[in-house]
Amino acid sequence: MSAITTSQFKTEDRWERAVPVFGFPVVTRFFLVLMALTLVALVLTGYRELAGLGPVSGMNDAFGWGIWKTFNVMVLTALGSGAFAVGIAAWVFRRKKLHALMRMALLTSFLAYASGLLLLGIDAGRPWNFYWIVFPWKWNMHSPLAEVAICMSIYAMIPLAVENLPPVLERLWYFDSRLRPGVEKMEKHLHSVFPYVIALAYLLPGMHQSSLGALMLLAGERVHPLWQSPFLPLLYVWAACFMSFGCVAGCTMLCCLVWKRAMDMDVLDEAARITCGLIYGWAALRLLDIAFREQLGTAFHFDRFAGVFWLEMLMIVGGGYLLQRSVRTHERDKMFMGYVLSSVGGMIYRFSPTTLAFRPNPQALYFPATIEVLVSLGFIAMGVAGFLFAVKKFAILPGPLYLWHDMASYFRFRRPYIRWTGYFKYGFFGEDEELTNNPHE
Amino acid sequence: MAITRRELITTIAMTGGTAAVAVTVGTGTLHAETEGPRIPSAAVGLLYDATVCIGCKACVAACAEANGETPDTRGDSLHQAPTDLNDLTRNIIKLYKPTDGTPASFVKRQCMHCLDPACAAGCPFQALHKDLESGIVYWTADKCIGCRYCTITCPYHVPRFQWVGYNPRVTKCELCSHRLAQGLKPGCTSVCPTGAVIFGPRTVLLTEGKRRIKETPGRYYKDKVYGETDNGGTQSLYLSRVPFDDLGLPELGEESVPEKTLRWQRRFYQYFALPALLYAGLVQVIRKSVKGHVEEAHEHEKETGLRAQL
Repeated sequence: MSAITTSQFKTEDRWERAVPVFGFPVVTRFFLVLMALTLVALVLTGYRELAGLGPVSGMNDAFGWGIWKTFNVMVLTALGSGAFAVGIAAWVFRRKKLHALMRMALLTSFLAYASGLLLLGIDAGRPWNFYWIVFPWKWNMHSPLAEVAICMSIYAMIPLAVENLPPVLERLWYFDSRLRPGVEKMEKHLHSVFPYVIALAYLLPGMHQSSLGALMLLAGERVHPLWQSPFLPLLYVWAACFMSFGCVAGCTMLCCLVWKRAMDMDVLDEAARITCGLIYGWAALRLLDIAFREQLGTAFHFDRFAGVFWLEMLMIVGGGYLLQRSVRTHERDKMFMGYVLSSVGGMIYRFSPTTLAFRPNPQALYFPATIEVLVSLGFIAMGVAGFLFAVKKFAILPGPLYLWHDMASYFRFRRPYIRWTGYFKYGFFGEDEELTNNPHE
Repeated sequence: MAITRRELITTIAMTGGTAAVAVTVGTGTLHAETEGPRIPSAAVGLLYDATVCIGCKACVAACAEANGETPDTRGDSLHQAPTDLNDLTRNIIKLYKPTDGTPASFVKRQCMHCLDPACAAGCPFQALHKDLESGIVYWTADKCIGCRYCTITCPYHVPRFQWVGYNPRVTKCELCSHRLAQGLKPGCTSVCPTGAVIFGPRTVLLTEGKRRIKETPGRYYKDKVYGETDNGGTQSLYLSRVPFDDLGLPELGEESVPEKTLRWQRRFYQYFALPALLYAGLVQVIRKSVKGHVEEAHEHEKETGLRAQL
């Protein structure tokens, strides 16, 4: 705990550069566990394709949707909306400090969406008919689900993937000096299309994250009135915003703890301030909406719906309060707890309308089956493994400038057998690399 | 930067003309929509009179036979006795029997063939669609992706998904359209011994239902034909002695579920005008941000000697 509570912040600890995690092997025991979970999930997926959904899941006629859709897609893509929420704050509202967190946001988003989309394909009963997606005149333009399916796949495959290219290109640039002219040319092209791609990367998630809420509008009164509301789309996308801030900033803090990096409290305070504002605004909107629909009374009935409602609200608003306090007092553990509480509360909120507060009929019950849970876990494990691999191979995690120099010397001394092409455009002491003869080239 | 907000507003104001046009055009079509769903030219349907039904379940067996389904004997491997609609059962008779001695009633459940079906409104690739002439809501196997959204959206909880097997289907009543093509009546109506369920054009059935109400006032709940206006109107019509709500036919009001719930969704995506406008505004703002950010990154590169990261 002492590491996390220390709050002396030195200027050289400012996050100025994304630096790969070095000195830690990619294949660890934890990584192997994740890979095993993934493998189990893939094998079970094969079984599911042959046997159908009934034998592998707890889904039934009343609860047509199980955790694959309601948790892995609805909840985890909300956590993975960082590229959307942090991106809008950084690029549209020009909160420049947040650029330090952008690569983390883009990576977590890409992994959450990729794993969610894969599972969406497995959850579909007749996935071979997905080919209709390439014929726009066959789309049902007014269906929220069509909107979600189409928008989500386009978003993850085009704008989000393109936004994630710079760290990959950068690695190629450092990997071999012969690749540099090509990489530089590609980067130039990339920068010229960037505004259009980035704008698309905000429009599409804005649309499908709200449509995820609109999905449950059609279910009408079967969703409990504390959740069912004409504002459900707006509340959903708003919840995705503060949850993804929590995911990005919280994950970054956790990574800094695990891999012993300095935390830039300027950036983290900025993120916490925005998250806290988002949380209070969201809570106010939700309460006002419930009050105006005259459903506030149902929150005081003694039943599971009221229980879930208060759990959500207390966790989210409590998290918001902790964040607000941590900005003032610079307590990192409070800040981290604030992110965890508000994000988990948000996760319950996104999960409720489809499952906890969904009442198709009084007898209906849904509880996920073992295989269902294992597959769900396996796909999450795939995302986490992808994250661990990416932060160790690419410059994703923000760090202070000296960390980059540490990394360079680490690789020069510890990995002499690597054909060293230089981690610097200019040499170690700032000299132009091309003028000095590099013995390794 | 403080200028950002002003910038956003001016960009939006600049394209405001487009917005105005788009929204007016959009609301134009919406007005047509709010007049209520279009009734298909040759709408056919069922009229079920619960007060006449004796609960013999002949229609349940006839339905399975007419549709070539194996009888659902999964209960005791002996009797065809499904407890609810399911992947082998498109039609079922249920009994509503309250314990307090108030009147009991049978109810026949099958697809309502809504004039504005929620299942079709939600179906992503139009696998469920309403026939423009007969108004029958069909399911097309080669468009269905098996997302099961129809089982969530249908306010009557009719479409059922096949949970077992690698090639699952969605099962729902299609008014025995293959029999209609041969000049025959749907399976359930052809065997009903008391005439509790009859088949015909919707207008004729509606008149017949109103005639029965007029002839025997007080016999029917609220003197009302369920489905005339409920959920925007349905093609399966019901008469009953007990409240419709107790028979699993919720009081949904005169507006159909999709119209009620997707109004703003539809307005927002009308001709894709508003998203396009939003996109144009975003590009304007982000172009400026990217330019500034690239400049700063290159300055930083000169300071530190390390290659710029974007």
